[in-house]
Amino acid sequence: MKSLFLSFFTLLITMHASSATSGDIAAGEARYGVNCFICHGQKGKGMASYPKLAGKPVAYLVDKLETYRAGTRIGPNSDLMIMNAEPLSDEEIANLAAYLSNVKSN
Amino acid sequence: MRIKLLALMVSAVAFIATSAHAGHHGTKSAVVPEITQTAVMTGLENPWDVALLDDGTMFYTEKCKGFSVRMPNGDVHALYGMKDSSGYASMGSDLHCSNQAGMLGLAVDPDFAKNRRIYVASASTKYHGDGCKTNFERCDGNIVMRFEVSKNFKSVSARTDIVKDIQFKPFESNHPFGGNGAHNGNRPTFGPEGWLWITTGDRHRGVCPQSPTLICGKVLRIDTDGNAHPGNNPPKGFDKRIYTYGHRNVQGIAFRGDGAAFTAEHGPWHNDELTMLVKGGNGGWDPQQNVGGRGDCPDEYCGYMPNQKKGVIPAIRAAYMPMSDTRFGDLMPPAWQNNGYSQGTSSIDFLQGKQWGMYEGRAVVGIMGIAFGGTPAGMRLDVYDVAQDGQSIKSVIHLPVETKRYRGVTMGPDGAIYANTDEGEIYKITAK
Repeated sequence: MKSLFLSFFTLLITMHASSATSGDIAAGEARYGVNCFICHGQKGKGMASYPKLAGKPVAYLVDKLETYRAGTRIGPNSDLMIMNAEPLSDEEIANLAAYLSNVKSN
Repeated sequence: MRIKLLALMVSAVAFIATSAHAGHHGTKSAVVPEITQTAVMTGLENPWDVALLDDGTMFYTEKCKGFSVRMPNGDVHALYGMKDSSGYASMGSDLHCSNQAGMLGLAVDPDFAKNRRIYVASASTKYHGDGCKTNFERCDGNIVMRFEVSKNFKSVSARTDIVKDIQFKPFESNHPFGGNGAHNGNRPTFGPEGWLWITTGDRHRGVCPQSPTLICGKVLRIDTDGNAHPGNNPPKGFDKRIYTYGHRNVQGIAFRGDGAAFTAEHGPWHNDELTMLVKGGNGGWDPQQNVGGRGDCPDEYCGYMPNQKKGVIPAIRAAYMPMSDTRFGDLMPPAWQNNGYSQGTSSIDFLQGKQWGMYEGRAVVGIMGIAFGGTPAGMRLDVYDVAQDGQSIKSVIHLPVETKRYRGVTMGPDGAIYANTDEGEIYKITAK
C-alpha cells in the first residue's frame, strides 16, 4: 500500500513538472525573435531598463505574461508589455516560457 | 567575431546624394566605403559611453557598475565603482542606478597627457538635501565628477563633483516608461574650443525644460571646475551655465568640422530630432500642463499626451505636444525629425577621415528603437548628410552593421567609430 501511494505521488509530481515545461522551446525561440529581443536582448539577457528573462522559472514567466495579457499594470513599462502580450495565445506563452527558462542566465 | 559587409545596398542612394554634396575642401568623394565591424569587448553590462586616448586606451562606463579602462594591450582595469559594485579600485557609495539612470557618459580632458583628468556623469544621492521627497520638487540627483587617473591607469583619485544639481526623477509616475530615473541626458563632451558640454533631460517634470534655473532639459557649457562659459548667452534670469534650453532628453552631442554643435535628442511617442544648437536657443520642448492649449496632464507632465497609453495618430500627438513648438520665438528648428516615429536617437558623432569616402564629414547617429504602436524598430546606425545651415538634411542611409541597440557612437583617434550597445558590446567600425 505504501509503495502504491509513493508511485501515485511520483506520478503526480511528474505530471505537474511536465505541464510546467510543456512548451515548445524551438517555437518559443522563434516567437521571441519576432520582437521580444528588441527590448530584452538576445537570449533574454536584458538590457537598458528592460529586465533579464533568461533562466527565470516557467511559472514566473507564464504568470507575468498572462498578467500583462489581461491588461494589468505591474511596473513602469507595463503599457509596453500589455501592448505586446495582448495578442499572445496560451500556446505562445507556454512556448516563450519554455524557451526563456531554458536559457542559461549567464 | 568579425564580419565584413560591403555597402552595396546603399550605393545607389549614396551615388545620387554625392552629386549634391560639397565636402570641406570643395571636393567630393564618390567612394562608398567598405564597412568592417569588429567586436572589441563583449559581455559588458549596459556599456553607456566610451572615450579614447590617442593610443587607443579606452575608458568606458557600465550603467550599474562603474567605469573602467581598456589598455591598448587588452588589459582592463576597473577604476571606480558604484554602490554595491565589486572589483573596482575605489568606489562611490552615493552612486546608484535605477531604470534609465546610472553611470552614463564620460569624457577625457583634451589636456589629459598633462592633467590626467576624466569626467563622468552619474546618478547620485549625495546632494539630495531636503529635496527629492516627491516628483514635483527639486531633486539634485545627477552629477558630473572629475577624476585624476594614475599613471599606470590602475586607479583614480581626487574626485571632485563639478556639477551637483542636474535634476533626477525620484519616484515612479503615471506615464508610459514612468519608472524613476527617467530622462537624464548626461552625455558630457568636450567641444573643439576645450570647454565641457553637458546634456541633460527633462526627468518627466513638466516645468523643467523651460525653467530658467532648474538644470533639466538643458545643454550646459562650462569649464572643468563647473563654472559657466562667459560667452554663454541664455535669456535674462537663466542659470549662466545654460547654452541651450527646451530639450526633452539629449543623449547625444557632437561637433561638426566647422565647430557647430549638434544634438541627437530622444523624442516622445511621435518624434526624434537632430538639432544644430544656437547659443541661448530654445529646443521648443515644453511638456507643462495648462500651457500651449493643453489642459491638466497626468502627474503634471504632458510629454506623452494626448491619450498617453493608447495609440493615437502621430500627427495629432505632434500637434498637441510638439517636440519643437513654433510658438517660441527663439526656437532652434531641427535639422531632421523622425516624421511621426520615435525610434530612440541615442548618440551622434561626425565621421572624420578620407577613409569614410563620401560619408566623410557626415553625422553618424545611433538609433535604438524598440518598435511599438506601429513604429518600426531602430537598432541601427544612420548616416546623415546635414545641410551646412543646419536646417535640413540632404540624405540619410542605414550603415551596413549588425542589428543592435546602439547606445553610443564615438569617433576614435584611429579613424574608426567605436559603438557601444545595450546588449553589452563595444564594436570598432572601420571604413576603407
